[in-house]
Amino acid sequence: MFTRLFTNSRLLVVALAILAAAPSFAGSWHHENGTLELDERPQRIVALNWAATEALLLLGVTPVGVADLAGYSYWVAEPSLPESGVHNVGTRVAPSLEAIAELKPDLIVTSAEMAPAADLLEQIAPTYVVSVYRKGSQPFNQALSMLTTLGQILDREERAQAVIDDIEQTLARLRARLANAGVTERPVALVNFLDDRHVRIYAPNGLFQTALDALGLTNAWPHDGNFWGFSVVGLEAIAPFPDARLVVLSPTPPGLSENLTDSPFWTHFPPVQRDQVYQVDAVWPFGGVFPVKRLALQITDSLLAGGSNLVQ
Amino acid sequence: MYSDASPLHAQRPTLPARLPMAAAALWFTAFLASALPWLNQLEPAALLSAFWTFNPDSYPSVLAHFSWAPRVSMAILVGAALGLAGAVTQQILGNPLASPTTLGVAAGSQFGVTVASLFFPGVLAFSPDLPAIAGGLLAIAMVIALTWRLGFSPVTVILAGLVITFFLGAMNMAFLLLKGEWLGNLFIWGAGSLMQNNWQPFINLWPRVLILASLMLLLMRPLQLLQLGETSANSLGARVSWVRASALFLVVMLSATVVSRVGVIAFVGLAAPVLARLLGARTLESRIGWSTMLGGGLLLLADTLAHLASSWGDGSLIPTGTTTALIGGPIILLALQGFRNAHHMPGQTSTPAGFLPRRRPAGIVCAIVAALLLLTVSISMGWSPGLDGWSWTQVSQWNDAWVWRGPRMLAAILAGVALGLAGTLIQRMTGNPMGSPEMLGISGGAALLMVVVVLSGLEAGRTVQLIAATGGAAGALGLLIILARRHRFAGNQLLLGGLALYVFMDAGLRLVMASGGTEASKLLSWMYGSTWLVSESEAIGLLVFVLAISAMLAAIVRPLTILPLGDISASSLGLSVGRARLLLLLLAAVMTAAATVVIGPLSFVGLIAPHLARVLGQQTVGRQLQTAALVGGLLLGVADYFSRIVVYPNQLPAGLLAALVGGLYFLWGLSRHGRA
Repeated sequence: MFTRLFTNSRLLVVALAILAAAPSFAGSWHHENGTLELDERPQRIVALNWAATEALLLLGVTPVGVADLAGYSYWVAEPSLPESGVHNVGTRVAPSLEAIAELKPDLIVTSAEMAPAADLLEQIAPTYVVSVYRKGSQPFNQALSMLTTLGQILDREERAQAVIDDIEQTLARLRARLANAGVTERPVALVNFLDDRHVRIYAPNGLFQTALDALGLTNAWPHDGNFWGFSVVGLEAIAPFPDARLVVLSPTPPGLSENLTDSPFWTHFPPVQRDQVYQVDAVWPFGGVFPVKRLALQITDSLLAGGSNLVQ
Repeated sequence: MYSDASPLHAQRPTLPARLPMAAAALWFTAFLASALPWLNQLEPAALLSAFWTFNPDSYPSVLAHFSWAPRVSMAILVGAALGLAGAVTQQILGNPLASPTTLGVAAGSQFGVTVASLFFPGVLAFSPDLPAIAGGLLAIAMVIALTWRLGFSPVTVILAGLVITFFLGAMNMAFLLLKGEWLGNLFIWGAGSLMQNNWQPFINLWPRVLILASLMLLLMRPLQLLQLGETSANSLGARVSWVRASALFLVVMLSATVVSRVGVIAFVGLAAPVLARLLGARTLESRIGWSTMLGGGLLLLADTLAHLASSWGDGSLIPTGTTTALIGGPIILLALQGFRNAHHMPGQTSTPAGFLPRRRPAGIVCAIVAALLLLTVSISMGWSPGLDGWSWTQVSQWNDAWVWRGPRMLAAILAGVALGLAGTLIQRMTGNPMGSPEMLGISGGAALLMVVVVLSGLEAGRTVQLIAATGGAAGALGLLIILARRHRFAGNQLLLGGLALYVFMDAGLRLVMASGGTEASKLLSWMYGSTWLVSESEAIGLLVFVLAISAMLAAIVRPLTILPLGDISASSLGLSVGRARLLLLLLAAVMTAAATVVIGPLSFVGLIAPHLARVLGQQTVGRQLQTAALVGGLLLGVADYFSRIVVYPNQLPAGLLAALVGGLYFLWGLSRHGRA
């Protein structure tokens, strides 16, 4: 009987220990500015850049505060923020520390760009610093690791994996569609028009390259850009790539299409003469993993639908 | 008006042979360098014919005709126009540092284009000139309104132009910081790019340039009379103010028209006339003619270098405004070396400031300003917007609120105190009511190094920022000392040297801005004063520092009282003039550096706090110092509060708000009190 009691109580202790362990949540994660130690799963999270905001939303976690709320809804759009319940904490360059503190967050996600404010942020809440974009980084891999780490921190590892799987499957499906249609041969130049003389061209070291690679497309632009993955170039700089197809990301500046159709430089540009200009909706080039899927979908649809000789 | 336009030179106006030779060499080199990359695709004859025709079947020929040839033509046209505008400006104002850019025209045009891009994009698509010209005219109108009563006295106009540049620049920056994503094109435009893909812009531009240039040449004779000096010109029947105003108007039209097509091309309007004079152009005709020639050649060379640099690199755009800085900068430094400023500064002939308000008892004035300061502190700590609207924080809870509101407020106030003191020192030392640390270029030096740090791609933490700013301020100070030693630290040279430093800083800033959005926004937000980054320990450190300097100042009131009496009187009163100036300069520089880290280089506080102290009736040095310090603190305390609340939760940099408010005050105050 004693033995039995002893066994029972030992079982009880074990059971209690398991019970206690299950909701308790502890962990530590190394990040770019030190180590993040957490005893509990964070509930109130503030994201100070849009890549982090996107990652949280992909994990099904609605942050309590994000930087430049209105800008996110305009420029990033997908995954969308809920209409209400999320607070704006100021610009991405200089967020309001007081607004962040007022939200009483238990986790702040930011990047090395906020380095001068790192100590002040740490005073408010544990801060997780991860930069998708910095010198020498591979944006997509960084974004993937940000997503999986945030998945661990927020106890949503399966969700993170599901998002990644979905993106991979979508990309594979799109690649097959393009291959079947036989439209992967010509290289693609991805540009944003800044005015009628200058474009931002997306470089092989940027996030968008991942989408091109996954679709089996070649980037017409051979040079690395800045660490954000683009170069600002004159329109004439794409002239040496007459074999390319031109994918133009919206939005375009007003009056662009008239100015271009008036310009013989443009009308003689071989891609234009071949009707191989493809305009796609705005995609945020400095986000996390999601813009890759969004861009790939749009490029595929647009390439399959056929191009034109002008931009809107 | 020029020191080198003395009768000695007037007797031998023959042109040295090196001038046409240098111009020819410049043009030849520039054109050859520009044509070189094309010669492996096209025959030389075919390339030359690109200026009038093309072969539709050969894409290189299409490219040469619609990209290379218009770009070369545009560079020459724009360069010549800016060279002409610069030479005329320098003639009007009798100052070798004058140019359309230094008069605020570029900042004004940029302001016009920014406003148009954000609020009236249709106008921009309809005509890029309109907003740019309107903005440029606005800027120059402000400069003229400021200096009208002073009869456009040369240095005053330059300083007023600088103030307007800061003011409109601050407005531009506010838009860029809050709406940067929408203004991608302006980042390029601000650095200047001559990229072309059509003849249309050139065809639109050249008749306008031709008409404006001819009108300018019609003003040649009246302009020539200006050279005789104001009194002689007046007695010969020239209406000096009128001639200056209409010539300035033409200069604005010309530079804004050009700038609206290709963006802000810095330095050419400044360097071309300087180069012409360095090479020996003496008479007005030769200066204007050769400056126009050299301007065209200089810009073609600079643009070719920019083009080559970007094709040798990774293809990304090197803005032409950057290479013009690289070429123009050394030319201007060379000119500064030999430049002897023989002009009177405004107000220098009379008492240090040109007006004497009624004296008021120091105790009462100080008490009132101090009470206002206390009120600001209380409101700033207590009454504040939150996420759910405005609320009043109980005094018992100020301890919690201190973390977010306290250090930044304290640091801002202290920066204001430091700038108020530094400004008073500099105004007393130069005997010039427009002297200030901003104008001295010390803040500009601090900012310049910060720009370099950002360009080098370092992820600058707070410590790096502090070191960079202090190093930059010290560097600028060293340069100024070298520059000014031979003038025994006299005020005018310091101000002009400071102006040159500011121009460099500006060129660096534009390069960063052209390279991409985010770094630029970060840098801009720092440049205009990021009080939000100040930690408690930094604020306390600053407090100790400012207290220590104030104590030192109390000990040296005497030299400050004596210096403005003039070098001879000061020496005869037993003061070592050179040493006293050096000491005061050092103190002012150190205080400026400390303040710049907190509030950025571009607030007007160092300019207006001493001025306000004077308006408040504090004439003696000691009293002016006290009041200016309090007023400076008050100004930046209020600016910091507003920067936190006006667009909550967004923040505007406090220095930017101070610059906006200070600029307005300056405009009002100078037009009211600036009469010499």
